Amino acid sequence: MFLTKLAFKNLARHRTRTLAVGLIIAFAVFFYIMYDSLMAGMNEMSYEAIIDYETGHLQIAASAYWEEEEKLPLDHLIPLDLLRMTSLAEVQGYQGSSAELSFQARLNNGINELPVVGRGVVPEELMSVFPLSDKFVEGKMFALGEHKVVMGKRLADLLDLDIGDFVTLLVRDKHSTFNTIEAEVSGLVHTINPNVNNFVVYVPLDIAQEALAVGDAVSKVVVRLERKEQAPLASAQLEDKLRAVAADLAVYKWDDVDAISFSRYAAAENRIILGIILLIAGIAIINTVILAALERMREIGTMKAMGLEVREIVYLFVMESTGIGLLGGLIGVVLGALEVWYMVRHGIDFAALVQLDMTSFGVPVVGRIYGKWNPNAFITVFAFAVAVSFLSSILPGYWAAAKDPIQAIQHR
Amino acid sequence: MALLELRGVAKVYQQGRIAVPALRGIDLEVEAGEFVAIFGPSGSGKTTLLNLIGCLDKPTAGTLVFDGVELIGLDQKGLAKVRRENIGFIFQSYNLIPVLTAYENVEFAIRLLNRHDKRELRERVMEMLAAVGLEGLENRKPNELSGGQKQRVAIARALVKEPKLVLADEPTANLDSKTSEEVLEVMVKMNKELGTTFIFSTHDPRVMEYAARLVEIRDGLISSDRRRDGAVVSH
Ligand SMILES: Nc1ncnc2c1ncn2[C@@H]1O[C@H](COP(=O)(O)OP(=O)(O)O)[C@@H](O)[C@H]1O
Ligand SMILES: [Mg+2]
Repeated sequence: MFLTKLAFKNLARHRTRTLAVGLIIAFAVFFYIMYDSLMAGMNEMSYEAIIDYETGHLQIAASAYWEEEEKLPLDHLIPLDLLRMTSLAEVQGYQGSSAELSFQARLNNGINELPVVGRGVVPEELMSVFPLSDKFVEGKMFALGEHKVVMGKRLADLLDLDIGDFVTLLVRDKHSTFNTIEAEVSGLVHTINPNVNNFVVYVPLDIAQEALAVGDAVSKVVVRLERKEQAPLASAQLEDKLRAVAADLAVYKWDDVDAISFSRYAAAENRIILGIILLIAGIAIINTVILAALERMREIGTMKAMGLEVREIVYLFVMESTGIGLLGGLIGVVLGALEVWYMVRHGIDFAALVQLDMTSFGVPVVGRIYGKWNPNAFITVFAFAVAVSFLSSILPGYWAAAKDPIQAIQHR
Repeated sequence: MALLELRGVAKVYQQGRIAVPALRGIDLEVEAGEFVAIFGPSGSGKTTLLNLIGCLDKPTAGTLVFDGVELIGLDQKGLAKVRRENIGFIFQSYNLIPVLTAYENVEFAIRLLNRHDKRELRERVMEMLAAVGLEGLENRKPNELSGGQKQRVAIARALVKEPKLVLADEPTANLDSKTSEEVLEVMVKMNKELGTTFIFSTHDPRVMEYAARLVEIRDGLISSDRRRDGAVVSH
């Protein structure tokens, strides 16, 4: 107890140095918290971007189709008349649903060609599920039966396409026979989802069905709910309804989707950042302990003469360093909390900050990024800062405590 | 039995390839309650001798028995325990802990023993500070005390745990003659009142006046050993 008191008095002894090292640790802690909050915010946004433009909250598809979905096969489709027998609208939180026929295609402007994902849709249904209506930068949505397409502005730019230009979609139909869809560009959109911006071409559903020779069938039906938290319950209800109609149909929730893997990246990066923080804190602490030991050589000698054991002197340094870690961690956590609070409330306008459209880097961000509260990050980084301060002082502490008392006493 | 008994104690410092003999065979017995001055010119081996007696170092040859315990057999931890419980040190340059007040510096030494409850502890520390003439200065930090006052704190710190032996290596070398006398008088007083054994080194003839026994050391050997009353101490 007396030794602990002494250690904390030593902290106050070099206020500037204590504060400087504390601030280094505080900055590291602050940075981690900010980064984590931003990552979580971006994570959330990318969920939203995928939910809003690709998966909705629920998807109905045949399980055999689901397994090969990335190949966009034209078998294991859902006959639409089957679905008409189910009252989707009765599920909890239902807002809308959109039947989609997705297919691989090559988009040709007469000179160049790009691989794209074709999406046969019913315009009104599509707009009820995805917030596309206000994302048109030029032109407008097509109507069923029209030989028209809507695509991302970015994709159009790549192929030098404007509203009113004619394009050809090269497809293989259900029997692997080549076919084409000739269409006029009727609208260009720009969303926060890079896939939609770069790869997707929307086609009227009936036109697509005809070109692909699939009859009145679709790949899947996307359902939108009021909130994503309703997905589990709604999914269960929907499955009950479907079981009566078609046994091979299944319901997939938004978080069953492979694309939601962004969070794993973030976790790995967090670990790297945490590692760097540990390194910074560790070096700062080791440096402080060595400096303090050199300055207090005579004191160390005196304490050894008084009969303090090596471990007691080590304890002094360890306590002092832990104190710095606590101080730095606390300052960092407070600053971090303020920053996160700001980011949650006001967000940061990244695009404006870097003067770039972040969507071109695959970062699904348009406008502001909002932070997220993650109490775990606060606890983790604080605990690490304190633990590292504690651990990294042990070795230099021993180095100091093992000094020969006679030389230490005579030290000038 | 003597409190302290040295037989054929030698210390050779190894300085690179050169062996520096600092002590070359010291025989010395000190009884409990004695007040002994070790004097001799600079470099004669006084500090080396006190360090050996104080369990801070080990001799190259010979034996030291302190309070019935053969010190050669003890490891670092064992020596630290002897110092903690039974030896008090007073240094030439005081060596107080700068962040602690006078009171806390004294408290530190007694806390290490874990022997007293809170009230007892406070009483003892206050008594000791009063005994060395520092009443009212308990809460001063070392940098707010004069040299003589600092050395009084150091004396209180050395004595508060009631050690069997107090060692002081040139305790007055940094003090003017008047302050030196005051500090020495405090030491004599404590020796008389508590019966604590004191061994201090000096090369100042005026300081020697205060000692009851004078041990002269030259070139690492004891050259004379007599009591104040003139009697020669035989070995
Ligand atoms: N650590 C050391 N290494 C080498 N020689 C030393 C060391 N300490 C003391 N000496 C030598 O031992 C001798 C005795 O020194 P010391 O005990 O300090 O004498 P005093 O205290 O009487 O001045 C001197 O010759 C000194 O140079
Ligand atoms: Mg000396």
